[in-house]
Amino acid sequence: MLKVGRTTIAAYLLPTFIVIALINLYPIFYTFNLSLTNKTTFNAFDSSYHYIGLTNFQFVLQQTGGDFLRVLLSTALYVAICVFFFATLGLLTAMALNHPKVRGRGFWGNALILPWTVPTFVTALIWKFLYNFNFGPINQMIRLVTHNTNAGILWLDQPVPAFIAVVIANIWMSYPFFMVVSLGALQSIPSELLEAAHVDGASAWHRFRYVMLPLLRPALLPATILSAITTFQMFNTVYLITSGGPFTSGNINNPGATEFLIVYMYDRVNNGGNLFINYGHVATIAVLVFIVLFVLAMTSLRFTNLAKEAGQ
Amino acid sequence: MSEQPLQAASINTITATSTATGTGVKVQQRAGTLDLFRRFRNNASLAGIYLFLGIMTLFALFPIYYVLQASLNSTQALITTELQLIPTHPTLDNYRFVLQQEPFLRWMLNSIIACGLATLIALLCSATGAYALSRFRFRGRQLSLITLIALQTFPGLLAIYAYYDILSTLHLDGTIVGLSIVYAASNIVFGVWNIKGYFDTLPIELEEAARVDGASYLTTFLRIILPLAAPALAASALFMFIGGWNEFVLAKLILNPDANSLTVPVGLFQLQQDQYTPWGDFAAASVLVSAPLMLLFLYLQRFFQSGLTIGSVKG
Repeated sequence: MLKVGRTTIAAYLLPTFIVIALINLYPIFYTFNLSLTNKTTFNAFDSSYHYIGLTNFQFVLQQTGGDFLRVLLSTALYVAICVFFFATLGLLTAMALNHPKVRGRGFWGNALILPWTVPTFVTALIWKFLYNFNFGPINQMIRLVTHNTNAGILWLDQPVPAFIAVVIANIWMSYPFFMVVSLGALQSIPSELLEAAHVDGASAWHRFRYVMLPLLRPALLPATILSAITTFQMFNTVYLITSGGPFTSGNINNPGATEFLIVYMYDRVNNGGNLFINYGHVATIAVLVFIVLFVLAMTSLRFTNLAKEAGQ
Repeated sequence: MSEQPLQAASINTITATSTATGTGVKVQQRAGTLDLFRRFRNNASLAGIYLFLGIMTLFALFPIYYVLQASLNSTQALITTELQLIPTHPTLDNYRFVLQQEPFLRWMLNSIIACGLATLIALLCSATGAYALSRFRFRGRQLSLITLIALQTFPGLLAIYAYYDILSTLHLDGTIVGLSIVYAASNIVFGVWNIKGYFDTLPIELEEAARVDGASYLTTFLRIILPLAAPALAASALFMFIGGWNEFVLAKLILNPDANSLTVPVGLFQLQQDQYTPWGDFAAASVLVSAPLMLLFLYLQRFFQSGLTIGSVKG
């Protein structure tokens, strides 16, 4: 801590804070404000729109047939499944790489981290190609194995396969993050601890469960919540693969099988090309998504020492 | 009298030794089998580890390999229902088409301008604030830090109408510069956190020593702290740049839809028509877009890991 005058503090802080206030805080207040009005395409220009309280919230939560809550639930399920696989595969690959007898760690490490370095829209493009019914290599392999030229899975046209398809693409690009975090944490565990447990007769599982895992927790927990937030926000690998579909209900206004919150939000902004847009409703959805993300972020804060650090 | 106990004692010792050697042999034998068993088990588990690594590597590399070989195939050759993993007639036609027939280089330039500008704005604006949050104590500091975390979770898409409003006020609607301002918003929050985390690891004695030597705080900041924080600044810049490079939805909603003003992701997906998807061109463009960043990332990996892990994953 440096002891300086107020003007010095202000001089350092102001450039940052003014810019943040203009391009971060103002848009958020704007959106909250919008969610309390009845602004639509029709009354936007004559400024005849006005505050209507929480009516928009009531509409979004109740009158759209519970769409929002359904989408919220399917998003939660999707995030939970994704993060479970990120963490498991990331930790397992890190433990394999950290094994003292494994040779060629440089090769394995670089190969395994590669998916992380691919731009996410390219990841979406690649997997969309892999899942293609006629020409995608996954179905081509199924045909090769089954000797049936008509075989194959309609990956992107059925709700459950589409969900699985999006989850796999996300696992592919995200497990390396967990691998890197876990590897760093594993390397910081003193080997004496594991040896001591070994000498005391602890089995491999017990050594993992009671020695390693508690020591990995401080690194893995924030990483888990962080990936939950990024998976929640991830637009490209969902929208660019499935466009939120398949839309099996027949009604284009009903959310598709992989239409998770952020895609749902985008589709409301786009409104299927329809020029009439109820800005109040869209802003209300944005505020609700923001609240969900805010709760997640504050949970992550509880589990890290950021809060303590902030209070110093 | 004196001999008997001696004898007895010697007998005792003999029996003792014989039992000792007896059990000793047994113990050794058991240890031998146990050792063999353990070695077998260790080898088996090592083989299992290699198998797991092999499968995961296949999972990681196959999609990348597939798109690489697809980029060397003609789209006609890709439209087949049979598995084909090596191009029969390798050609660079897809690359030629993407680079000459499509405004691909224009999209690259647009992306570089949008991401570069957003990175520059964010770095300039976040460094001083990060320093103040790391080194100074003031009322509202904790609130600022928590607000920053909340802001980091707020995707720009949610505030899209506000950004439309801001950009039209600035007469920047639909432009690359306008887009870069929106990108800067998320970059700056990330930058303040990441760089602040790195400043925290630099010993405060640096400034105190410089102060004793007569340097002002500003000189210390500019000449000592910023150069020392170079790894964190570089890592933050790279991640800001990559963040923008990947971004699709804001670019799609903000930029003018004419072909020349798009960024790479939006332009690329615009190639996809309703009925026809030019997979060969897609593959070639994917390789062109990914290769530079992937190589850079792999090359700088070690250097960046220190700058990033110290900064953000400190928990």
